[in-house]
Amino acid sequence: MGILAVLWEKWREFRRDFYKITLAAVITPLMYLIVFGLGIQTTSHGEPYLNFLIPGIVSLSTMTGSFSAVAQNMSVQRLYEKALDQVMVSPTPLWQFILGQVIGGSLRGMYAGGLILLLTMPIRTGLIFNGWSVMIMFLNGLVFATLALVLSFLAKSYTDAPRYTAYIITPMSFLCNTFFSTDQMPMGIRQVVAVLPLSQTSGMIRSISGGLGFDPAGIVVLVIYLIIFSLISVAFVYKKKNL
Amino acid sequence: MIELKNLTKKFGDFTAVDGLDFKIETGEFFGLLGPNGAGKTTTISMLSTVLLPTSGEIRIDGQKLDRKASTEKSKLSVITQEYSMRQDMTVDEVMEYQGRLYYMKKKDIREKSRQLLEFAGLSPYHHRVVRYLSGGMKRKLMICRALMTEPEILLLDEPTAGMDAISRRQMWNLLRQLHGQGITILLTTHYIDEAQSLCERVALIDNGKLDIIDTPDNLIENLGAFAVDETAEDTIKSLYFHERDEAIEHLSKIGDGAVFRNTTLEDVFVERIGKRL
Repeated sequence: MGILAVLWEKWREFRRDFYKITLAAVITPLMYLIVFGLGIQTTSHGEPYLNFLIPGIVSLSTMTGSFSAVAQNMSVQRLYEKALDQVMVSPTPLWQFILGQVIGGSLRGMYAGGLILLLTMPIRTGLIFNGWSVMIMFLNGLVFATLALVLSFLAKSYTDAPRYTAYIITPMSFLCNTFFSTDQMPMGIRQVVAVLPLSQTSGMIRSISGGLGFDPAGIVVLVIYLIIFSLISVAFVYKKKNL
Repeated sequence: MIELKNLTKKFGDFTAVDGLDFKIETGEFFGLLGPNGAGKTTTISMLSTVLLPTSGEIRIDGQKLDRKASTEKSKLSVITQEYSMRQDMTVDEVMEYQGRLYYMKKKDIREKSRQLLEFAGLSPYHHRVVRYLSGGMKRKLMICRALMTEPEILLLDEPTAGMDAISRRQMWNLLRQLHGQGITILLTTHYIDEAQSLCERVALIDNGKLDIIDTPDNLIENLGAFAVDETAEDTIKSLYFHERDEAIEHLSKIGDGAVFRNTTLEDVFVERIGKRL
């Protein structure tokens, strides 16, 4: 299976850059937790703000981990190293290449989110993370890895990847239910932000962590994003005239 | 057999390849020659499906080649002009990744990789990261990678660009060996001596269009197998003759400042394409 070849490549990359990947996954979220959770000690809905923040930061880390695992890498492979040519000419079906990239990216996102869970474990917040949380993290990773793939096929230069992060990922990090509830946003903007994938993920993981279960509509929204981004990336890889 | 049928590639208003139409027989050593920007690399990129044609098509053994054509693609291997591989992988990893993409068994990957790296003199560097290999080593690694999957068709885009004379000759010998094993080879080069030495047939292309296609011997014969170079002030003018006696007679008339020699494929290239540049 071509998927296994791509996953093997992603695994080798992970092993090779283990320390860099781990540090990059931890530093920024840790700063958020220290500054907003421990430094500025406030409460939210009658509970320590940290209890609100941790599920948001876990979702955020899953998003950035999976996005960066695919976006930067694919842009460099396609435009600078031309390493994508090796895949294009091989008999590995390109949909399998996409699936391998997306699963690999999502697993990297889960690793980043998992690290935050590990780091916050000693705080004893009483938050609940279960199999559903893991499933939602994986789904969130798939969505952002697929989005990264679409954007890396659109990139005209390998320096575009950091721009996409600045235009898409950074605003989502701050606005999508991570640091504050989307309920506090003005009408109109609130509705738009609420349907973004990170808002859905944060909402579901936060709800589970509070022992309230989750609204399955959030899963449906993520799956819709996943289908749309997957179809676009498959169309790109098979139909784009100049890859 | 590779068939190019009215193959055209446009980038906006610019036509890089303009209606190429020819066949390469199974087991043939075929050269695609042209000046810089003639469309050679674009043609190879379409054969490797990295670029899709604007119009026309490519057929491999009668089947249309596109990005879904896994069976046809499994017959191909490409050595691109650029070092198209992950720079952060080790030599072993590059080879293993290639094997995995072509569904080779792990045992076969290990065995074949060991053989090829040894053959190319890269065994001592098998743990080295590609980024830290010299240009020549990277080129050799690309050849090893291309041969890893025992292709039926080998596409080579300027394989000896930037190589020293000894490495070039080693590469020529390797290509002859591969051709001897029945592999179909399509070589693009702007080293005309390389094409003359290796190729059974060559196509000259210019501005994306096919100029002529024939064997090197026929092309030379048609121009005139014998040449006389006349030096006049700061230019050299070459005259071509079909008969040796004619050339020698002309030489004797001119006297000093003229040289008699055999016509080469480079002369054909210069006469047909160089004069238009």
